[in-house]
Amino acid sequence: MKGLLIHGVSHAYGDHKVLDKVAVVVPAGELVCLLGPSGCGKSTLLRLAAGLEVLQEGSIVIDDVTVASNTVHMEPEKRRIGFMFQDYALFPHLSVLDNVIFGMVGSAPAKARSRAMEMLDQVDMVNQASKYPHMLSGGQQQRIALARALAPEPKLLLLDEPFSGLDTNMRARIREETLGVLKQFGVATLMVTHDPEEAMFMADRIKILGSDGRILQAARPHEIYYHPKHEFVAKMFGLMNRFDGVVSHAQVQTPLGSVAAPDMADGTKVQVLIRPEGIVLESHEDASGTAVELLSTHLLGHDNIVRVRLASGSSSELYVRVHHAFEPELALGIKAIIDPDYAFVFPLDGEESGSSSLVKAAQ
Amino acid sequence: MTTSQTLAGNTGWRLKIDGWTLGTAAVSTAVMLPIVAVIILAFTPGDDIWGHLTSTVLPLYITTTVQLMIGVGTGTFFIGVGGAWLVTIYRFPGKRFFEWALLLPMAMPAYVIAYVYTDVLEYAGPVQGALRHLFGWTSIRQYWFPEIRSLGGAVSMMTLVLYPYVYLLARAAFLEQSVGVLEASRVLGRSQWQSFYSVALPLARPAIVIGLSLVLMETLNDFGTVDFFAVYTFTLGIFDVWMNMSNIAGAAQLASLMLLFVIALVLAERFARRKKRFHQTTTTYKNLPGYKLGSIKGLLATVVCTLPVVLGFALPSIVLATYAVIHFDGDVVVQVIQTAGNSLLLSGTAALIAVIVAIFMAYGVRIKGGPVLKVMTRIAALGYAVPGSVLAVGVIAVLASLDNSIDGFMRQHFGFSSGLLFSGTVAAVIFGYLVRFLALSFGTVEASLTKITPSMDGAARTLGHGPFATLRRVHLPLMKTSILTAGMLVFVDGMKELPLTIILRPFNFQTLATYVHQFASDEQLGEASLAALAIVGTGIIPVILLSYAIRKSRPGNEIA
Repeated sequence: MKGLLIHGVSHAYGDHKVLDKVAVVVPAGELVCLLGPSGCGKSTLLRLAAGLEVLQEGSIVIDDVTVASNTVHMEPEKRRIGFMFQDYALFPHLSVLDNVIFGMVGSAPAKARSRAMEMLDQVDMVNQASKYPHMLSGGQQQRIALARALAPEPKLLLLDEPFSGLDTNMRARIREETLGVLKQFGVATLMVTHDPEEAMFMADRIKILGSDGRILQAARPHEIYYHPKHEFVAKMFGLMNRFDGVVSHAQVQTPLGSVAAPDMADGTKVQVLIRPEGIVLESHEDASGTAVELLSTHLLGHDNIVRVRLASGSSSELYVRVHHAFEPELALGIKAIIDPDYAFVFPLDGEESGSSSLVKAAQ
Repeated sequence: MTTSQTLAGNTGWRLKIDGWTLGTAAVSTAVMLPIVAVIILAFTPGDDIWGHLTSTVLPLYITTTVQLMIGVGTGTFFIGVGGAWLVTIYRFPGKRFFEWALLLPMAMPAYVIAYVYTDVLEYAGPVQGALRHLFGWTSIRQYWFPEIRSLGGAVSMMTLVLYPYVYLLARAAFLEQSVGVLEASRVLGRSQWQSFYSVALPLARPAIVIGLSLVLMETLNDFGTVDFFAVYTFTLGIFDVWMNMSNIAGAAQLASLMLLFVIALVLAERFARRKKRFHQTTTTYKNLPGYKLGSIKGLLATVVCTLPVVLGFALPSIVLATYAVIHFDGDVVVQVIQTAGNSLLLSGTAALIAVIVAIFMAYGVRIKGGPVLKVMTRIAALGYAVPGSVLAVGVIAVLASLDNSIDGFMRQHFGFSSGLLFSGTVAAVIFGYLVRFLALSFGTVEASLTKITPSMDGAARTLGHGPFATLRRVHLPLMKTSILTAGMLVFVDGMKELPLTIILRPFNFQTLATYVHQFASDEQLGEASLAALAIVGTGIIPVILLSYAIRKSRPGNEIA
């Protein structure tokens, strides 16, 4: 198979286990994102794949060649891998052009040069070719780092938090540009990030790595968002509304109505997590649902965040995302119902149960 | 696909014997041997003089040595760090000049200014003569004058010529600091002085500690000054036991005790350095602020910077130059030129080898890590701590046994004797210098290597460059300044080196240092003055290059 195959990789620093039997497959042409909180061993996996760290357990195969296993350690320079570092690691003593040429070992100088210029053209940096890294902006440095990593035509590209050094405006643009370049090259790409939005935007598939070093879920972005298999995964995308309850006839009752809990035994204590966009507010005569009181609204731009409270007197707040200008007719009262697509039920194992509450993002 | 298939064609076995590990280990061992030989010698049964020593002179040696170290350490810290901070951050009259002029005393060996100041300040010298003339005194009993040949005198002499080590490293550290952190500190409400104390100084601490440890090792090693001033330090004690009592084992025993001082020093340095590994937090450099000092403060800064330059360099140079003119003699000139050639050969070769070895060792440790390699390089770099005279014993022991084994091999297999191949040759002196001064080049190179972020290595390796190509194309260019610094430190020290050279040199082979020592310690400063000037002169050229390179090395800093 063309691409990267990581199998059963475990890694520990002393007693601290950062990777636990991790498996990742990245076929050529695909971009896989490894998403997880800081310090969970994501970067270690990249360093293992690149050969910058010696493998402790498992195996790593690139284009059908075992590059690391119990008996094999291929040196990084032999693996033909592109690696983009979080700090870009551009060589400060070399010009932009020489940075890009650096990796084209064995090509004739003239050929390397013209290929490097092509690469710079790809990332729209031709007119910066003779400058030095410290003369460039963060976004420009990022593009050079990408061009440099891709220039030697690597079999695999590894990106370590490639956009974390950029400001928000720049990040969205550079992200899109980078994705365009990567799709065009069709190189197998493994990217590491702690930003779920970034992972959703970039990845064909996402692997979520928990802080215990295990992969919690591996799926397409859509799946990760709409069918999180783990509480941790559900919470990655921001604030959640939470109700605790008990399963009865494959249903859980919440103040906003019942939520399906298939495959769960009666009597199981559960928590119901509802995304802010999973609570639908209505205020017209035919509106059904539970009455809530409006606390405040916050316009974020393309959508609103609305804070409401159950009218029944429970003090806990709900956090609702509304995709249109929200102008309720207060006279009619506001009713709230749950959109089942955005509500998830997870067993409460041992955790003390509270009533409903807001849950902070997992990271 | 199975594992067995891929094993056949794979390129790297985990268990293969690694060239870097082996090479680093081999080089470290070679440099370590003389030091190990000294330690073995110290524990070889012989006349045990411990009892005798502890009951007589040992307490004196210890207190004198400690006092000397405290004095020189304090003095060099204040002059070195203060001078570096002034010329790096402030603008005042003569700033540009002092940037490099403050390095000048580095070219001056302590024993040379000891000879000069003794000549100038003794009873029959011009200063006391002028005072007597001025006040009409006729005898020593009528006035008090500080005795230069004393502990205080030795502290002064050594401080005046050793502070540039601290200055050099502190200044390099200040220049490498991003001005951003200083500005952040100012904005956060700290004054200039507080910013210096709470930001710049801690950031520069690793460099300052290295500088101070170099100074203290030099202090422990000094033979010329303490011998001339009769200040009973460990080194003088060792010479005494060895030369006057002909007790090599006893000298080695004293040396091993002294080694404890030094190990403590080295460990303190390592500890300080490991605690804080400073990587540059930003890659954007801005021009240094160049705070302008008012006229009074500016004048004060000028005076503060002038004193060490005048006392540590200008005045002694003028005295030496005057003597050289008065005692000018064609034969002396020819002798001095020949001697200078010898000195250049020894110091230049030693500097080159020391830098190559240091790079090899520091980089080997960086890419291979491992506690064994680390400990080996630490021990190899201990040579600086061992007094030259005692190290010479180790070198002689190692080379003699090497000569004997080669000779034995030749006799056995080829039927002829190769005799003494290395002992008593120029190669022996160069090897001695290498062992002695490796700490200088290794410390400097290693400090600079630490500043290169590990992702640079990762980038180069994943871009298809092996460890050696990575070193050549990434680390060496980035470390250019430090490599030059390392080479110059070894070179200048080689030019000044005295005790090791006296013992290891080939018969009748003179270097400038041995030549000066021979005449000046005989109170013939006139005859020695030209050679002493030559030592000082050769020392100046690298000092200027050094200062220029440091300035240029800072990206974003305009070259003045």
